[in-house]
Amino acid sequence: MSDPILSAPAGPLAETTPGAKGGVAGPWSRFRADFAESRLALFGLALLVVILLVGLLAPVISPQNPYDLAQLDIMDSKLAPGERSADGSTYWLGTDDQGRDMLSGIFYGLRISLGVGIASTVFALAIGLVFGLVAAYFGGWVDTLVMRIVDIQLSFPSILIALILLAVLGQGVDKIVIALITVQWAYYARTVRASALVERQKEYIEAARVLALGQARIVFRHLLPNCLPPLIVVATVQVAHAIALEATLSFLGLGLPITEPSLGLLISNGFQYLLSGKYWISFYPGIALLLTIMAINLVADQLRDILNPRLRK
Amino acid sequence: MLRTLRLALAALAILGIPALTSAKDRDVSIGLQAAITSMDPHYHNLSPNNSMMLHVFEPLIKRDANQKLVPGLATSWKALDDLTWEFKLRKNVRFHDGSPFTADDVAFTLKRVPNVPNSPSSFATFTKPIVDVKVVDPHTIVFKTAATHVLLPSDLASVMIISKLHGEKAATEDYNSGKAAIGTGPYKLAEYVPNQRVVLKANYGYWGGEEPWDKVTFKILTNAAARVAALLSGDVQMIETVPTADIAKLSADKKYALVDKVSNRVIYVHLNQRTDTSPPYVTGKDGKPLPKNPLKDARVRKALSISINRQAIADRVMEKRSVPAGQLLPEFFFGTSKKLQPAKYDPEGAKKLLADAGYPGGFALTVHGTNNRYINDDKIAQAIAQFYSRIGIDTKVETMPASVYFSRATKGEFGYMLLGWGTESGEQGSSLRSLLATYDTAKGMGVTNRARYSNPELDALISEAMSTIDDKKREGLIQKAAEIAMNDTALIPIHYEVSTWGTEKGFRYTPRTDQYTLAMGLKPGK
Repeated sequence: MSDPILSAPAGPLAETTPGAKGGVAGPWSRFRADFAESRLALFGLALLVVILLVGLLAPVISPQNPYDLAQLDIMDSKLAPGERSADGSTYWLGTDDQGRDMLSGIFYGLRISLGVGIASTVFALAIGLVFGLVAAYFGGWVDTLVMRIVDIQLSFPSILIALILLAVLGQGVDKIVIALITVQWAYYARTVRASALVERQKEYIEAARVLALGQARIVFRHLLPNCLPPLIVVATVQVAHAIALEATLSFLGLGLPITEPSLGLLISNGFQYLLSGKYWISFYPGIALLLTIMAINLVADQLRDILNPRLRK
Repeated sequence: MLRTLRLALAALAILGIPALTSAKDRDVSIGLQAAITSMDPHYHNLSPNNSMMLHVFEPLIKRDANQKLVPGLATSWKALDDLTWEFKLRKNVRFHDGSPFTADDVAFTLKRVPNVPNSPSSFATFTKPIVDVKVVDPHTIVFKTAATHVLLPSDLASVMIISKLHGEKAATEDYNSGKAAIGTGPYKLAEYVPNQRVVLKANYGYWGGEEPWDKVTFKILTNAAARVAALLSGDVQMIETVPTADIAKLSADKKYALVDKVSNRVIYVHLNQRTDTSPPYVTGKDGKPLPKNPLKDARVRKALSISINRQAIADRVMEKRSVPAGQLLPEFFFGTSKKLQPAKYDPEGAKKLLADAGYPGGFALTVHGTNNRYINDDKIAQAIAQFYSRIGIDTKVETMPASVYFSRATKGEFGYMLLGWGTESGEQGSSLRSLLATYDTAKGMGVTNRARYSNPELDALISEAMSTIDDKKREGLIQKAAEIAMNDTALIPIHYEVSTWGTEKGFRYTPRTDQYTLAMGLKPGK
C-alpha cells in the first residue's frame, strides 16, 4: 500500500499547477465530490460557514456592542433569557453579571475566538513550515538541532507553556496569539519534516537537483507543495485546538481584558452562578464554543480522509 | 465466614454507631476561605492567622463581635498618666499544660514580638510604642510609652500572650509543630497541616467555661464553589464568606441558615496624586498625557465619586451584601460622623463638575483592582467603569491577583486604585492616619497612603486626636478630621463589605464585624 506511486498523485499535480491552468479543474472537482460524500462533513462545513459569517458580521448583527461599557447597564444584570430591559429591548439569551446581552457577547466572542484561532494557526504554520522544511532538506546538525528543540517543546503540556508566557507577557489579544503560536509551531515543524523526508528521496527532487536549481527554489517550489496535504489536515485540527486553548486561558482569567470577554471568559463569568440556577451565562457561550469546535473537526476529519492516500479507494 | 462477618457488622451497627454519633455531636468542621500561614502567633500579621490564634492563645484585651474592647487576660487597665498604663491580670488562669499564667509571661511576650526571625509582616507595630515594661507583682504590669499612645489598649488586643516556660527556646517551627503552641485559650492545637487543615481539641480547664465542641476541624477551602459544595455535602457544618452568587439559593433552602453582618472593611478608591502631570494610566482621550494631574483637582475627585451608583452596586453586584459607604467605617464605630452619608448618585452633576474643572469632554483612565482579594472585586471594577463611561470618561479595566497588584499599587504604578481596608482597631482615627495623613513612615503617618494625598489641616487634626487620651475629646477630633477628608474627596469610599456565614440548621453563629470565623462563636441550637 505504501507504494510511492500511490502516494504520489498530489506530487505531479502540484508540480504542474503553478504554470498550467488546464490541470486545475480535474482534481478540484474530484476533491469536491470526495468531500460531499459525507453528509456529516457537509453539515459541518455549512455550520462553519454560518459561524464564520456571524463572527465577521458581529458588529452589524449584534443588538448591542458588548464591549462598549456605556451601553451596558448594571441594573439589567443577570436577566433570564427572553426578559425585557428597563428601556424595552429584549435579551433573547439573557444577560450576564454586568448586564451584557449574552447574544451580542457570544457573537463578539466568536469573532475573537475565530480570529485568535486562525491568526495563531497561520503564523504557527508559517514558522513550523520553514523550520520543518529546512530540517528535512538539509539534514545533519540542522535537523538534529531543530528537532531537539521541537522535542523539548512538545514534552511540555501546551497549557503550561501558554500560562507561563501569558504570565510574563501580560494581557491582550496579541499576547494570546503569540502564546498560541509558540505552543503550536512545533507540531507543524514535525509534520512537515516527516513528509518532506519522504518526498526528498523522490525522483522529481533529484531531477530538480540535477537541473542545478537553487536550493530555495527546490525547497519552496518543489518540496513544499507536495508536503501540504498532511499539513492542511493538521492545521484544521489545530485551529480547533487553538480556539479551545484560548477559551481555557480566558476561563482561567488570563489573556483578554475582562471588559472584552471571549467565549471562555463568558463561560467563566457564569460558572459561579450555575449552582444558583442562572445557567444561561455559561450555557449558551458553551454551546457556541462546542458547535464551533465540532464544525471544524467534522471538516477536518473529512479532509483527512480525502487527503490520506492510504484511505483512497 | 460470611455469617461471622455479617454478625460482626450487625454488632458494630448496634454498639458502635450510636457511640460514634454521640461523639460526633460534639465534633464540628468549618470551611475557611484562606490558608493559615503559621501557628506562631507573632510570625505573620494576617487576618486568617489572627483569627485562628484566638482559639489557642489570648490577648490581654479581647474584642467582642462589634470590636468593642472587653477584658481578656487582663481584667482592667487604666492610664496612670499620659505615658504610663497599668494592667491588672486575671488570676487562676492556666496554660494548656497546667502551668500558671503570670505577668512574667506578658513581659516575655513583649520581648519576643519584635524578634521573630523572617517575619513577613511583624506584630512589632503594636508593641513598638512600649519602651519599658515593669512587672509590679504576678498580676500587675505597668507599660511606659515614649509618646502619648491612645491606641495602646487596642494595639494590645492584637498581641497574643505566650508561655515563657515553653517559648524561651522555641522558634516558629515549634509553634507550627504544636510543641510550643501552648496558650491559655479555649482550644488546644492538635494538628496543623499548612494549606489543608487545623485541628483543635477542647481545653476543658478553660477559665471562661467549657466550649460546646470536643474537636473542631478547620478546612482550608479557598475555592468558593468548593466551599459551598462542602457545606451542601455535609463535609463541613459551617463556611465563611458565602459567595454572593449562592446566597439566593442557600437562603431559600430550609436545611441551611445564613447570618451576616456589616464588616469593618471598606472598599475604596485611592487616586494617585504623586505627580503634578498625568499619573500612570490617566490620559487625554487621544491617549496623550495630560499637562496637569486631574486627580489633584477636588472637583474631578468629587465627580468621580458622585458618578458611582453605590446602591446599584450593592443591589446588583453584591446581592445586597454590602452597605454604601460615606466614610471609612460603618456608623456605629468609634470616631465616625453621622454627617457623612454616602455620596448621592448624580451623573449630571458629575459632568458639570468635570466641565468646571476643564475637562468638558472627559478624559481616559484605567481602573486597576484585584480579582481575588475582596468580595466581587473584579465585578465592582467593571461596574465603576460602566458609570464612568456614561459621564464621558473613557474607562478601561485591568484586574490582577492580589500578589501582583499590591506591590505595584504601593509603588504608585496605577492611577485609579480600587482597594480595601479593614480597621482592626475599630477606630476611624487609625484608618485616617494610615490612609490619608501625609506620607511619612518615620512618624508612622500615611504609611498606606498609596495616593500620596496631602492636607496639612487634616494632618494637624489627626496628630492632635492621636495624642488625646480622653475618649470623648478624641472622638470629636476624629469626626472633624473625617469630615474634612471626605468633603475634599481625599479618597472615594464605595461600600462596606457585609460578611456572610452559612451553617447547617441546628447551628448558630454570632457574626462579627472583623470577619473572623471563631469556633467560640458557633453554638448548637436554632
